[in-house]
Amino acid sequence: MIDWTNANFLPWLIPVPPLIASALIFLLFNRSWFLTTLTALAATILSWGMSLAVLLRALGLAFGDPLGGSAFSSQIAWMDTGTTQFNIGVLVDPLTAVMLFMVPLAISMIMIYSVGYMANDPRRERFFGYMALFAGAMLTLVVADNLLLLFIGWEVMGFCSYSLIGFWFEKESAHKAGVKAFMTTRVADVIMLIGIVYLFAQAGTLNFRDIFFNHEFLAELASTPALIFGGAISAAGLIGVFLVIGTVGKSAQFPLHVWLPDAMEGPTPVSAMIHAAAMVSAGIYMIIRMYPLLAAGADPHHGIYNAPLMLMAYVGAFTALFAAIIAVAQNDIKRILAYSTISQLGFMMAALGIGAYVAAAFHLITHGIFKALLFMSSGAVIHAMEHGEHHAHAEHHGEHAAPIDVQDIRSMGGLRQRIPVTWWAFLAGGMALAGFPLITAGFWSKDEILAEAWHLGVGGEWFGPAVFVFILLAVAAFLTAFYTTRQLAMVFGGQPRTAAAEHAGFVDPEHPTPAAQAISGFMQGPLLVLAVFAVIAGFVGVHPDFPLLGAIFSPYGNPFHNFVTGTLAEEMPKVAFNWLPVLISFLVALGGIWAGWMVYWRRPLAAGQEDPTKVALDRVSPALYTAMQRKFYLDELYNAAFVRPAQWISDVLVAQIVDRGIIDGVLHFIARAATVIGETFKRFNRVVIDGVGDGIPSGIARFGGWFRQLQSGQVQQYLLMALLSALVIGMVVFVRLIGRG
Amino acid sequence: MVPLWMYLVVAAALFCLGVFTVLARRNAVAILMGVELMLNAVNINLVAFWRFVTPATMMGQAFVVFVFVVAAAEAAVGLALIIAIYRRRQSVVADDANLLKW
Amino acid sequence: MTLPFNLDTSLLTLIIFLPAAGSVLLLLMMTLPMSAEGHKVAARWAALGVSLLELLLAVYLFANYDQAAGGFQFEESAPWFALLGSSWHLGVDGLSVMLILLTGILAPLAILISFEIEDRVNLYMALFLFLETGLMGVFASLDLLIFFVFWEIGLVPMYFLINIWGSQNRVYASVKFFLYTMAGSLGLLLSIQLIGLTAGTMDITQLMTFWPAFQGDGGTFLGIGVETVKNLAFLAFFLAFAIKVPIWPFHTWLPDAHTEAPTAGSMILAGVLLKLGAYGFLRLVIPLFPVQAATFSGVIAFLGMAGIILGALAAYGQNDFKRLVAYSSVNHMGFVVLGVAAAAYVYGAAYTGGGGMSPEELESARQSAVLAMNGAAMQMFAHGLSSAGMFLLVGALYHKIHTRDLRQMGGFWVLAPVYGGILIFTSMGSLGLPGLAGFVSEFLVVRGAFAVPAFSLMTLLSMIGLLFTGAYILKAIQKVLHGKPSQEWVDYNRQHHRLEITWREGIAIAPLLALMLLTGLLPNWILPMINTTVTRLFGG
Repeated sequence: MIDWTNANFLPWLIPVPPLIASALIFLLFNRSWFLTTLTALAATILSWGMSLAVLLRALGLAFGDPLGGSAFSSQIAWMDTGTTQFNIGVLVDPLTAVMLFMVPLAISMIMIYSVGYMANDPRRERFFGYMALFAGAMLTLVVADNLLLLFIGWEVMGFCSYSLIGFWFEKESAHKAGVKAFMTTRVADVIMLIGIVYLFAQAGTLNFRDIFFNHEFLAELASTPALIFGGAISAAGLIGVFLVIGTVGKSAQFPLHVWLPDAMEGPTPVSAMIHAAAMVSAGIYMIIRMYPLLAAGADPHHGIYNAPLMLMAYVGAFTALFAAIIAVAQNDIKRILAYSTISQLGFMMAALGIGAYVAAAFHLITHGIFKALLFMSSGAVIHAMEHGEHHAHAEHHGEHAAPIDVQDIRSMGGLRQRIPVTWWAFLAGGMALAGFPLITAGFWSKDEILAEAWHLGVGGEWFGPAVFVFILLAVAAFLTAFYTTRQLAMVFGGQPRTAAAEHAGFVDPEHPTPAAQAISGFMQGPLLVLAVFAVIAGFVGVHPDFPLLGAIFSPYGNPFHNFVTGTLAEEMPKVAFNWLPVLISFLVALGGIWAGWMVYWRRPLAAGQEDPTKVALDRVSPALYTAMQRKFYLDELYNAAFVRPAQWISDVLVAQIVDRGIIDGVLHFIARAATVIGETFKRFNRVVIDGVGDGIPSGIARFGGWFRQLQSGQVQQYLLMALLSALVIGMVVFVRLIGRG
Repeated sequence: MVPLWMYLVVAAALFCLGVFTVLARRNAVAILMGVELMLNAVNINLVAFWRFVTPATMMGQAFVVFVFVVAAAEAAVGLALIIAIYRRRQSVVADDANLLKW
Repeated sequence: MTLPFNLDTSLLTLIIFLPAAGSVLLLLMMTLPMSAEGHKVAARWAALGVSLLELLLAVYLFANYDQAAGGFQFEESAPWFALLGSSWHLGVDGLSVMLILLTGILAPLAILISFEIEDRVNLYMALFLFLETGLMGVFASLDLLIFFVFWEIGLVPMYFLINIWGSQNRVYASVKFFLYTMAGSLGLLLSIQLIGLTAGTMDITQLMTFWPAFQGDGGTFLGIGVETVKNLAFLAFFLAFAIKVPIWPFHTWLPDAHTEAPTAGSMILAGVLLKLGAYGFLRLVIPLFPVQAATFSGVIAFLGMAGIILGALAAYGQNDFKRLVAYSSVNHMGFVVLGVAAAAYVYGAAYTGGGGMSPEELESARQSAVLAMNGAAMQMFAHGLSSAGMFLLVGALYHKIHTRDLRQMGGFWVLAPVYGGILIFTSMGSLGLPGLAGFVSEFLVVRGAFAVPAFSLMTLLSMIGLLFTGAYILKAIQKVLHGKPSQEWVDYNRQHHRLEITWREGIAIAPLLALMLLTGLLPNWILPMINTTVTRLFGG
C-alpha cells in the first residue's frame, strides 16, 4: 500500500485534488458558491502544499549531490500493448521541481484572485470547475514521467482553455475566440501526435528517463533517416520538428500565434492562468523536457545545429521581435500583455534553440510569475475602470457620455493615485517584464539568455543562429521595455483621460469599508505575493562572477543552474561572465524604459490625443502603424487562405459535389440503369414473348375470319363452287385417263 | 338413224341451260325449274346411251324411271320448302335466304 | 457464479435467442386485452426488461471470459446442415466478447430512449429485439453460413425501423440502405458458398488454416487459376464488409440512413451495425485471405485515410445536426480501417514468410500491427459509445424542438445547461480528447499505422482529418449551445417544451458517459482481452 513516508508516492497525489475538486464542483456543488470556492481553494492549496513538500525533498537531495540526485519516479501499468505494457507514472527531477515551485504558486494565487474577480458572475461555479480541471491537467503534465501522460494533460488543458475563453459564451466574439484557440492549437497538436507516435514506435517507450539517458538510442535516432521525408531529415529530427510544432501551437509562436490575443475574451483569471503561468508555459516546458531528443545529433554549444534546434531558434527569435512590434501599437490593456507573452515565449524558445537550456527554464519560471502578476493587475485595473464607469454614470445622472471601452488604455490615466496597490504590483511586474536591471527577476533571466546568445554568437563563436537570436532578442528586449513603460504611463501616469478613469477605484470616503472598494482583498492579496516574488525570484540565478551580487547570492555557483542541470545526463556548460552582454541588457532595458518614459510619461497623453509613436511612424508611412495595429493582417490572411477555403471544401466540394453529386450520382446512375434494364426486360417479355404467344392464335383467328367468307349463305354460290370443283376434278381425272390410256 | 352425238349434244345443251338457270335466276322456283332441266338432260343422256350401248338390258330405263321419281319428289319437296320460306320471308329470291352464312 | 439449469454450456445460444424470444413475446402481447396506452407501457417495459436481461448475460460472459487464456471460449457445436458442411458452431474470443458487451449495453439504452415512440410500439420493440438477435448472432458465430444468416437478419428489422418510424426522407433512406448492403451481401454469399463447398466445411476455425493454404488441383480450380478465384472471393468479401463499415467511397448510404432513422435506430446503427463490417474484416477477411489482404492493404489504407479526411470535411460542411454526427461515423471508422489495413499488411507479410522485410523489421512491424489492431478494436468500442451518445443527444433535442437544422438553433446552453454539459462531454469523447475513450484507440491506431513504413505518409495525412474532427465538433457545439438564445426559443422553452434533458434521457446516457471516462482513464479494464486475442493472432 501507500507508504506515506516514501516521497515517491507524493507526486502521484499532486494533480489529484484539483481533479477531484473539478468533478465534485461539476456534479454536486454547482449550486453552492461557498462549497465551490471552498473545494477549489482547498484543493489548489493542498496541491501547492504537496508540491512544496516535494520541492523541499528535491532540494534536500540536491544539497548532497551536485547533479540534482536521482529523480523520484513511480509507475503503474496502464495499457497492454502486445507482449509488453505501457506504463504511466510520475517523475520528479530538478526541472519538475522548479516547475512545481512556480506553477502551483501561480495557480493558487490566481484561484484566490478569481474568488474576488468572479464574485458577481452568474455562472461562477462552472468557472471554478473548469479552473480546477485545468489545474489538475497542468499538474499532471508537470509531474508526468512520459510523453503520453504529458500529452494527455496538454490536450485536457486545451479543452479547458477553449471552455474558459468562451466562458461568456453568449458573446459571439468570446465563443469564436474559444474555437479559434482550440483549432489553432489542434493544428499543432495533431502533428505533435505523429511526433509522439513516431518516438514511441522507435523507442518502444515514451518514458523520459528511459529515452534521454540512453545515448546510443539518441545517437542512432539521429542518424536513421525518417520514415517520411527521409532524404532530408533524420528520425530524431522529424520527431523533434513535429514536437516543436506542437509548442509553436500551444505557446502561440509565429505562425500559430493568432489565437492568443483573441483569447483575451476570456475572464482575466483565465488569461493569467492559462496564457501566462500555465498552458503556454507547458509548451515551453515540453520542449525543455525533450531537449536531449531535440538536440540529438547536434551540439549547439559547438555550433552544430540540427533541424529542431534551428526551427526553435529562428521561429522563437522572429516571434519575439514580431510580437513586440505589434505590442507597441496595441491599445487594449490585455492585448499588450498577450503579445508580450508571445514575445517572451519566443525568447524562451530561441534560447533553447541555441542550447541555453538553463536560461530558458529560468526565464520560464520568472515569466510565469510576473506575467500572472501583470494579468491579474490588469484585471484589477479593468474592475476598477468598470466601477469607475458605473459611478461616472451615477454621478452625472442622465448625462449621456459615449460608452467607452474599459480595457482601452487610451481611456485610462492617472490611476496610480486611485488604485495604489494595483499600481505597485503592476509596476513590479512591468519592470520585471522590461528587465529592469538588478532588482527584478526578469532582468536576471533575460540577461542570462542574452549572455548565452552573446557568447555563442556575436561575442565569440559567431554561430549563425546565435547571432540571429542575439540581435533579434536584444531589439525585442528594447521594445519590450518600451511598450511596457508605455502601458504603465498610459494607464497609471498623467491624469485621467475619461470620467470613468476619474472615478476608478472609487472609494467612498464616508464609507471606507472593503465593499466600497473596487478591488477586493481577494484580488489584492495575490498581487502582493506575486509582486514580491517578481522582485526576488531572480536572485536564485545570479552568475557567480557577477560583481558583488554574485558573491552574495551564488557563493557556490549559480544555484539555479546547478540544480536544474541535474535533469540532464550531462551537465550544461556554464557561460563565463562577460561584461558586454550585461551592459547590453542594461542598455536595452533602461533604454527602452527611458524611451517610453520620454514619450509617454513626461508629456502624458491628453484625452483624444494621438499616440506619439503613431505620429512618428506615420511620417515614414501611414500604413506602417496600421499594419502593426492590425497585427500585420495575419488573421485576415488565415481567414482567406485557410478558413474560408476549408468551409468551401467541406460544404460544397465534399458534402455536395463529391458525396451527393459524384458518389450518389454513381449510385443513382446504377439504380437508374438497373431500372432501365428492368424495363427493357419487361418490354421484351411483353412484346416478344407474349407477342409470339398471342400472335399465333390471333393469326389463326384472322385466317379463319378470312376463310369463312366462303360460307356466304347463298345457295347458288355453293352450287357454283360444287360445279367448278366437279369440273376440276373431272378434268383431272380425264387428263389422267388420257395420260394412262 | 339419228347418231348418238346428236342426242348427247341436245342433252348437253339442255344441261347447260339448266346450269345457267340454276346459277343465274333469282327466283327460287326458276332455280327448281333449272334443276328439272338438268335432270331431264341427264335423262336424255341416259336414254340415248341405253338405246345405243345396251339396248337389250332394262338397266338404263330403270335408271331413268328412278330419276323421274326422284325429280318429282324433289320438285315437290323443293316447292314445299319455297312456299314455307315464302310464308316466312315474303320473298322467293334465293339470295335473300342467306341466314346460314358465317 | 454459474447459471442454473445447465445453461452455462449454452450461454451463447441463450444470448443470441433471448431477444428473439422477447420479440415473439412482444408480438403476442399485442393480443392481450388492454387499453392502447396500456399496450404501449407494457411493450416498453417488457422490451426494456428483456434487453436488461440480455445485458446481464453479456456482462456475465464478459466477466467469465478468461482474459489471460485468450482463444475461442464458450464454444458450442451442434450439427445443423451437414450436407453443406455447416454446423451450429458458436464461440467467442476477446474481440467478440467486447462487441457483444457493447451491443448488450447499447440495446437497453436505445430502448429507454425509444419510450418516446408512440406509434405501434409493440411492433417497434419486437423489431428492435429481433435486430439484437441478428447482431449477437454475427458476433458469436464460428460458422460461415450461420454468420451470413445472422448478418442478413440484422438487415430486415433495420429497414423497417427506418421505413416506418423514420423522418421525412425515410423511404429513400431505408431502401438505399437495404439494397446497398444487400448488394454487397450477394457477393459474400457466393464466396461463402464457394469456400464452403470447396473445403467441405463452413467452420471458420477450420477454414482459417485450410483456405489460405488451398491450392486447387495443382494451381487451377474450376478451370481457372486458384489465385484468381481467391482474388475474386476476396473482392467479394471486401465489398460486402466495405459497404458495411463503411469504407469510402461506399459510405453514401450512411448519412441518409443515420439521419432518417429514429433515435434508437441511429444509436444501434452507428453503435453496432457498423462494427459488423469491421468485425468481418478482422474475423474473416484477414485470416482467410492473408495474401490478398496484404496486397490490397495499401488501397484499404488509402481509402481509410480518405474516409477520415473526407468524412470529417463532409461533417464540417453539414447544417443538419444528425447528418453531421452521421458523417462523424465515417470519420471515426476510417481509423478502424487504417488500423485494419496496417494489420492486414503485416499479417500477410508474416504469412508469406517475411514479405521482403528483415527479421527485426518484421518483428517491429508485428508489434506495430498488434497495436494497430488493438487500436482498431478499441476504436470500435469507443466509437460505439460516443456515437451512440451523440445520436442520443441529437435525438433528445430533436424530440423537443422538432428540427435538426443547426442554423435555427443557438444559445441552448442558457436554456439547458445540463444538456449542454453532457453534450460537450460526449462531443469531447467523439473528438478524442485524452482522458476519454476515443483518444486511447486513436493513439493506438496512429501508433500502429505510422510505424509500418508503407503507411507512414498516409497516417500523417490522416491528421488533416483529425484536425477537421475538431472543427466539426466545435461547429456543432457552437451552433447548438453558444450565443444568445433567440426570444422564440426562450418562449418555446418556457411555454411549449422545456429544452433541458429529462431524467429518462439522462439515465440513458449516463452509462455511456461513465464508460467513456472509464475507458479513457483505465483502458486496461477491457484492453487485455483484445490484446491477448490480437497478440495470439499475430503469433505472439
